Amino acid sequence: MTALVAARPGVANPWVAFLARRLGRLLLSLAVLVTLAFGMIHLIPGDPVRAALGVTAPLELVDARREALGLNDPLATQFVDYVRALFSGDLGISMSSGVPVSETIGQRLPATASLAIAAFVVVMLVAVPLGLGMAVLTRGGRRRGTELGFTSTSAVVAAIPEFLLAVGLVFVFGVTLGWFPVAGRGGASSYVLPVLALSLGPALLLARMVRVEALAVLDEDFVRTARAKRLPQLRVYLRHVFPNALTSTLTIGGLLLSGMIVGTVLVENVFAWPGMGMTIVSSILAKDYPVVQGIVLVYGAAVLLVNLVVDVLLAVADPRSTIREG
Amino acid sequence: MRELSFEGTTVRFGTGRSALTAVDGVDLVVPQGQVVGLVGESGSGKSTLAKAAVGLAPTSGGEIRLDGVPLRSRRDRRKLQLVFQDPHASLDPRMTIGESIAEALPGRRRHAARSAEVARLLELVGLDPARARSLPSGMSGGQRQRVALARALAAEPEVVLADEITSALDVSVQGSVLNLVRDLQRELGLTILFISHNLSVVRYVSDVIAVMYLGRIVEAGPADAVLSAPKHPYTRTLLDAAPAFGVALDDPVPADDARLDTEAPSPHDPPQGCRFHRRCPIGPLTRPERTICAETDPQPGAADRPHRAACHFAAEILEVPAR
Amino acid sequence: MGREQWKAALRHPVGAVAAALLVALALLAVVAPMLWGDAAEETDPAALSQGSTSEHLLGTDALGRDILLRVLVATRYSLGLALLATAICVVIGVLLGVLPAVLGRRAGRLVTAAVNLAVAFPGLLLALFFAVIFGVGARGAVLAIGLAGAPSFARLVQTNVAAVAGRDYVAAARVAGVGRFRLIARHLLPNIGEPLVVNATVLAGGALLAFAGLSFLGLGVQPPAYDWGRLLGEGLDRIYINPAAALAPGVAVVVAGLAFTLLGESIAQVVGVRAVRRRRVPAAEPAPLVAAEPAAAAVLAADDLRVGFPAPGGGWTHPVDGVGLTVRRGETVGIVGESGSGKSLTALAVAQLVPDAAQVTAGRLEVAGVAPLGRADAEVRELLGTKVAMVFQDPMTSFNPSMRVGRQLAEVTRVHERQGKRAALARAVDRLRTVRVPAPERRAHQYPHEFSGGMRQRAMIAMGLMSTPELIIADEPTTALDVTVQRQVLRLLKDVQAETGAAVVLISHDIAVVAQLCERVVVMYAGRVVEELPVDRLGAAAHPYTRALLASVPDLATDRDRPLATIPGRPPDPSDRPEGCAFAPRCEFADDACRMRPSLSAVAADQRAACWHPRTRPLDLTLDAVTGGQA
Ligand SMILES: Nc1ncnc2c1ncn2[C@@H]1O[C@H](COP(=O)(O)OP(=O)(O)O)[C@@H](O)[C@H]1O
Ligand code: SF4
Ligand code: SF4
Ligand SMILES: [Mg+2]
Repeated sequence: MTALVAARPGVANPWVAFLARRLGRLLLSLAVLVTLAFGMIHLIPGDPVRAALGVTAPLELVDARREALGLNDPLATQFVDYVRALFSGDLGISMSSGVPVSETIGQRLPATASLAIAAFVVVMLVAVPLGLGMAVLTRGGRRRGTELGFTSTSAVVAAIPEFLLAVGLVFVFGVTLGWFPVAGRGGASSYVLPVLALSLGPALLLARMVRVEALAVLDEDFVRTARAKRLPQLRVYLRHVFPNALTSTLTIGGLLLSGMIVGTVLVENVFAWPGMGMTIVSSILAKDYPVVQGIVLVYGAAVLLVNLVVDVLLAVADPRSTIREG
Repeated sequence: MRELSFEGTTVRFGTGRSALTAVDGVDLVVPQGQVVGLVGESGSGKSTLAKAAVGLAPTSGGEIRLDGVPLRSRRDRRKLQLVFQDPHASLDPRMTIGESIAEALPGRRRHAARSAEVARLLELVGLDPARARSLPSGMSGGQRQRVALARALAAEPEVVLADEITSALDVSVQGSVLNLVRDLQRELGLTILFISHNLSVVRYVSDVIAVMYLGRIVEAGPADAVLSAPKHPYTRTLLDAAPAFGVALDDPVPADDARLDTEAPSPHDPPQGCRFHRRCPIGPLTRPERTICAETDPQPGAADRPHRAACHFAAEILEVPAR
Repeated sequence: MGREQWKAALRHPVGAVAAALLVALALLAVVAPMLWGDAAEETDPAALSQGSTSEHLLGTDALGRDILLRVLVATRYSLGLALLATAICVVIGVLLGVLPAVLGRRAGRLVTAAVNLAVAFPGLLLALFFAVIFGVGARGAVLAIGLAGAPSFARLVQTNVAAVAGRDYVAAARVAGVGRFRLIARHLLPNIGEPLVVNATVLAGGALLAFAGLSFLGLGVQPPAYDWGRLLGEGLDRIYINPAAALAPGVAVVVAGLAFTLLGESIAQVVGVRAVRRRRVPAAEPAPLVAAEPAAAAVLAADDLRVGFPAPGGGWTHPVDGVGLTVRRGETVGIVGESGSGKSLTALAVAQLVPDAAQVTAGRLEVAGVAPLGRADAEVRELLGTKVAMVFQDPMTSFNPSMRVGRQLAEVTRVHERQGKRAALARAVDRLRTVRVPAPERRAHQYPHEFSGGMRQRAMIAMGLMSTPELIIADEPTTALDVTVQRQVLRLLKDVQAETGAAVVLISHDIAVVAQLCERVVVMYAGRVVEELPVDRLGAAAHPYTRALLASVPDLATDRDRPLATIPGRPPDPSDRPEGCAFAPRCEFADDACRMRPSLSAVAADQRAACWHPRTRPLDLTLDAVTGGQA
């Protein structure tokens, strides 16, 4: 039946339709994100400028600052101006330092991005082989001890948040052993602890998921078919089990990456890592709203992009996926 | 008990590429006090028709009437009760079977009256009334299906729709549920639309048989007449394919012709003309001169043909040799 | 969730530890501020920023306050704030989650879309966003964390509601006229309760950690108030001087967070995955005897074949319990029986494909000249190779969904005959043509989901034909198919059998299907063979179960004016079979003799039945003309 649907002539290429739909969703999400970032400053109770400058600031200064930020215009005008400025790459000017926000972000983004990407790579390299290996070792209730050890260790470690892990790592490898630097961004060795702190939990979490998923696939009828064909074990795992466990691995991998991008905020603050996370926290404390707005936008856009990439990868990886069945 | 009639009932699902007309202009009457058996392969729209009647599927055309009065509100529809295929899924696992049945009782009643009614219904379907307080988890498929029947009867329905109620049951249990349906029908004079993909099962309980193919009724008539002298080639194909003792696989039947398609076409894109023509043993693939089959839909003139058959050559079909 | 399951969760070692920890924390939260609240505020100018001393076990902070006491006292504030945030999150989540079910279709979809959009953003980002709006401080942080977690909880509720709302019993309640709100109260909420409780517990752990995170960043609790996150942030600055000042609150956060999370997860495990309950694998049964001499005429010879699984209460249960089965070369044999009678497991045991947990033993087992029992997996694979072909019941799930059909077929010859890619694919196309798949070249390049059910079953048969099998085992190959397609698949099997000379074992619950294809019928009940007879003697079936089966299934010739014969009761559970004849509780001829187990014994030429009182009167069925399998 579906074959006929797929082969039906005269229907536009399903990939085009899928990509159009997906891009449409991305644009909508971006629009919502921009609106929220804009609205944030207006949702703050009271006068944000007064709050930022403190009660002692002279009235003229507050008024001048309001004027400079355009806060005295009608809301609609402000919004249009904001969006227009965004399109020209202008994210506003920091209230405390007077530096353009885009410049600050430009300086800070590489540190954060390199941290997140390095951590993501580590997660994938560790989690997929570990999860698959564990699934194979513990399939059908074998090696109960190994299974219990793996599941409980990974559950415990995965439940520890990255900033606490970071503190623990600082204590052990920085303070006690003195192997790695505990603050700042420098050579490769400065990456070890932050990346470890950021990736350890997600890696074990993903390994757990991969294992569960692979075990579920091992129970599927088509694996029995593969065994009925008397294929070598390795071929069964690599050709029949792994590709079918990929879908959910990708889905969860995407979620984890989004989480890790934002997780950098905490880790950066532990390791005094000069990225966006340090900046957003100090800006929130200093009530420097344009900077906060800009950084929230960048984080949000990064997350939306990751989601888009994951969805496209999923569509490519899974021949049954929605794009072809419409 | 009254008469249920479908008039041009149409149900569509989805939009765009996935759009599909699951039920396409069905006319069917379930006369008072009779059992109408509805057969057809899976996906032909049998369940959807039943769901449309009780309001679980949206109709996009036609009318469903009870004694000539269109069914509009939920209240109207309560007079139709549907029994589902899978008795393991159709009872709330957290409710005792007594609660499940009582929930369907119409109107307000006092507690004692409700319990008495539940007990009576359980007895009616051959279960011990003491079971009212047990949960469905401990019961077998056959027993659950009896509970489901009792729940349907609790609503004091005018018509019962039974959708594949025996196909999830073990063969040794199926017989007792079929017997129960027959007995209840005779005792209470129920009006029943009995749906199954199994012609033998339908034959056993029905007075009238309707055959559905790709969203349409292609033949309907008195059970004996339809089975002994089918007017639509599809009915004939179904009869020929039913496994039976004494019929060898290699006795060829018309539908074994290698020129025919072996599978149903996609419901998303039904064929032009007669929907059955690519599988029809007396259609254009075996008799090339019958181009009309591929061009003209035989549905419109169906009402005037014997058994309301949707076939241009309805009169031609040979009788099935007695088995 | 039943009380039983809570108890089971607590018996789980992880669950028990987590629950005990939570109780201890709750106690601490109540008593610590009363006992040490003031002492924790006391500054000791003589001991500023000290490490561990006998007076201050974990040292002091910059103002000389005792770290240990402050960590203990902070329990109340930390837990309280986390629970408050959790409560906000759960309430909003449930409201948003149930809303689509209450609102109409369109408004519901809008809510769902909004929630989906919000879920795309990580919780911490949302929390930062809300922290900006609500301002820095404990109140702002509670609101921020509560609101930030709400979308994902709402999504969880929505998924669960949607799953339950799709169940037949909800549809049945709607048909019975149950109103929308009662539907939610009586059918939806109770049935999603379990996952929600579990997730709320895990969520509380998450909220605790998130709160610590915000306080650590300085965005949460503000001095002079303090919680664990705040203490941690202060301690981190002096980690070289006094590591304990950072580690102690860190440990407290981790322990409390873990207690919630692990309790939730161990409940989830007990509720969801029953198999997780640890079963001690019982001592293996006596090693199977390996066959003596090969029987050349038989392609399959099994004696006293048993398949056991570890039973929940210890020991083994045997769904297949002493089956004897012989199939001659080129013969077609049908196995009939109800679901649970052990047909499929018998087939899998013969083909060496039983699930990992199962143990197969046999007095003798020989398949295509190979005695597989007691050999290593790799050796069995090598020996059996392509001699046994399988066709499974569900053609929808029996193909690898992410691999093209042609390659799945070609794989057989590529592995076993070391053929090249091109040649193997060409053969696959050829075999697809043999089983009359239309347009085989194009079909070979499609994925399984692009095939219809009947087409997939043909392709499965084609897969068996990639080499020349000696035995084809088809397990309910037509049960998932429509009658017209069933006929074609059965005819195909018959043709294949005639052309290749392979023996065929056809398993079915439908005795009429078996009669059409096979020469011999084997009837199974409760894990054993109860009767074995040529198909043309079905009318003279001797075992009461065979006879009841034949009489209780209507066919196109059944007398419509008589009630169908019925079999009272239901088949016994494998773990709870009666002693003696397993059919006795349902048998109208049972007597004292039946308390002993009857063995298969000849009742006529070629016919054997396991019954103390075999029937001799011919059955009143229209079976005279049975010719199936004779041609
Ligand atoms: N909710 C739905 N959405 C989309 N398609 C549906 C839905 N329900 C049924 N269908 C389709 O409608 C057709 C008829 O289905 P159904 O009524 O279940 O047939 P039957 O009961 O005869 O097997 C099938 O093609 C089925 O896939
Ligand atoms: S109209 Fe033609 S194709 Fe259709 S059923 Fe009749 S003979 Fe067959
Ligand atoms: S042995 Fe006894 S109980 Fe068993 S089938 Fe025969 S007569 Fe019935
Ligand atoms: Mg149906």
